Amino acid sequence: MTAEVFPAAGLIERAAAAFAASVPQRQADDGFFGPGSVTWRLTADLSAPVAGLRSLMVQALHPLAMAGVDQHSDWRADPAGRLASTSAYLVTITYGDRAAARRAADRVRKIHERVRGTDPVTGRPYAAGDPDLLVWVHAGLVDSVLAAADLFGTPVSAADKDRYVAEMTVAAELVGVPAGRAPASAADLAGYLAGIQPELTRSQTAAESTEYLLALRGLDEDIADIWRQIAGAAIASLPPWALDLYGWAPAKLTAAYREEVRQVLGVLDVLYLGEPGVLEARQRIELRMRQAG
Amino acid sequence: MSIRALARLRLTRGLAAVRLAARGGARYATNAPRLFAAAGDQREQLRNDLALRTAEDVAATLGTMKGVLMKLGQMASYVDDGLAPPVRRTLSRLQDSVPPMTADLAAEMITEELGGPPDQVFDTWDPEPIAAASIGQVHRAITKDGRAVAVKVQYPGIARTIAADLGNVALLRSLLRVAAPSQDVNGLIEELRERITEELDYLREADSQRMFAAYFDGHPTITVPKIVDELSTARVITSELAAGARWAELLTWPQAEKDLAAETIYRFTFRSLYEMHAFNGDPHPGNYLFRPGGQVTFLDFGLVKFFTPDELKPLVHMVRYLCVDNDPAAFRTSMEDADFLTAGAPISTDQVIEHMALFYDTVRTPGTRTMTPGYASAVARRYFDFRNPLAPYARIPKSYVILQRINLGMFALLGDLAATADWRAIAEEIWPFVQAPPSTAMGEAETAWRARRPPSQEP
Repeated sequence: MTAEVFPAAGLIERAAAAFAASVPQRQADDGFFGPGSVTWRLTADLSAPVAGLRSLMVQALHPLAMAGVDQHSDWRADPAGRLASTSAYLVTITYGDRAAARRAADRVRKIHERVRGTDPVTGRPYAAGDPDLLVWVHAGLVDSVLAAADLFGTPVSAADKDRYVAEMTVAAELVGVPAGRAPASAADLAGYLAGIQPELTRSQTAAESTEYLLALRGLDEDIADIWRQIAGAAIASLPPWALDLYGWAPAKLTAAYREEVRQVLGVLDVLYLGEPGVLEARQRIELRMRQAG
Repeated sequence: MSIRALARLRLTRGLAAVRLAARGGARYATNAPRLFAAAGDQREQLRNDLALRTAEDVAATLGTMKGVLMKLGQMASYVDDGLAPPVRRTLSRLQDSVPPMTADLAAEMITEELGGPPDQVFDTWDPEPIAAASIGQVHRAITKDGRAVAVKVQYPGIARTIAADLGNVALLRSLLRVAAPSQDVNGLIEELRERITEELDYLREADSQRMFAAYFDGHPTITVPKIVDELSTARVITSELAAGARWAELLTWPQAEKDLAAETIYRFTFRSLYEMHAFNGDPHPGNYLFRPGGQVTFLDFGLVKFFTPDELKPLVHMVRYLCVDNDPAAFRTSMEDADFLTAGAPISTDQVIEHMALFYDTVRTPGTRTMTPGYASAVARRYFDFRNPLAPYARIPKSYVILQRINLGMFALLGDLAATADWRAIAEEIWPFVQAPPSTAMGEAETAWRARRPPSQEP
């Protein structure tokens, strides 16, 4: 079984291994967020798989961000590897100590240096290190984590939403967003997303990439069905403007549907927990959060 | 992707979920020993450090199908024919990941259920749980009138959580279609939902335990702890504290002791079935306490199935026609009457007998026999063999699902004990159509007990 033939094989196993390895066994300090943060709670939320898919779909709607990914990344050849490394990155900057988080962020900055070119859709030049693009990708993630948790995970209070958005500005700065540029409150975030609408479009590449991601080929048979349901939930959780751009009608998010998604996420979580080291890593996080009170 | 595709996504309920669960379970097995990685005291410390503090913690740990998967894992040993035995065992081991409640949360439950905090309701209360029950935990206490008791406290909110997850029939159906392809899935779901719902209802469990305690009252080797009525509610069960050795310790005892314990379990199982028309469907090694001389205390009556006389009749007929009357045609007819076998299936009665005889192997002919793990797994394999000529015409009607436990659960336990006895002779004592005189010392004592019992106690 090679990555080329079955690009998504081992998705869960690789994501789980990345998670288990990225939660430190011992640490020099509590990192940039700390066990009392909302970020710690939300990064490990049941809704995280939906948040991840949603944020990729949102981020793809910016043509320059999409072009950068399309022209410089081999993610189609190895989507499982790409998802696992993205997940490892988020886990490291969240739960890792400051040194580990900085190392991970520096690696991302290095990669970004090489990611530059011309977007075939708009004809505009782009560079992954461009603060505007970094803020866009950041905002897509932060908005998706909150939306997914709201719909399918542990509810987040308005105050905690503000805290999360504010905490996450540190993550933006780690990869090179100048201080003060990333949205720092829920209202800021909403304002930013409203303001950037004119720049967004569903390019052919975005449509194809999203299609590819939603119908990921080569998934282990027992994951495929779950993946389809998570994909459906991620679509359903998109904001109206994103649904509009993709040409999808908004879904009715009934309480019953949300409960169904939670149940599917729970089954997925049992599988995830069964992977080596995942439970122990969760316990390490939980213990530190409890010690922080 | 069209909106129709989206709708389909939302409604898709493939088989994957169970395979997922099964796989998760399988991996869990390798994980389990490291679950609370440290051993002994440290493990206990970690469990306590991660204890469930609130109803929200309970929901996060056992909600979103996790509690249901755990229960399915426990019950899988009698509903499941697709999962390998290690997977069944490990699914049930999912419950190892559930930490106990904090002392405060357990105390809150006692206050809510019994009207006062534990140190007021009881004379003495041990805040450290002595055992985990899958949906609760057990504490020791001493009542105001001085009785030592075991108090089983249910996790707060668990009934509501599990009820919501059990409501997802579509997901359950896909889980079971994989787990039990030969069976009537809708019937199974109904049975599973009934059983789990019953298990969540401690009032019902207490009723079952009372019934078993009353029936076996004074029995020479069988003990069923008595329920303390005034300290039992829908979410708390208080019963007499029983003492004895655990299963693992029994395994180190001399063979003669193991044989006696096995005889007691065997008598308990079939006396319950033929005389109380009841079957305790949870022959889990953790549900017994042992003392020398074949003394066994039976714990946990959360999964009791009561049979109507009509449901029991074909079972009695089958054993009678196969083992006593030696009438293959009548045996086949009984199977058909009970809907175990499609009437007029194009297979010979010889084939039917050949296939079914294994299940009755220990009682078809007189003589001493040793139960072995090999026999237990042969029974399980035969049970799950879908290539046999009977398979297309055989099924397990809903009412009998739980009886698979006899074949799979009890034989596995007795096999692990390598128990030796003349099982046919013991069975003849119990079979209502034979009622033979006692064949063992325990049988003698049992006969004396039966003679002493007031007639009113016969159901």
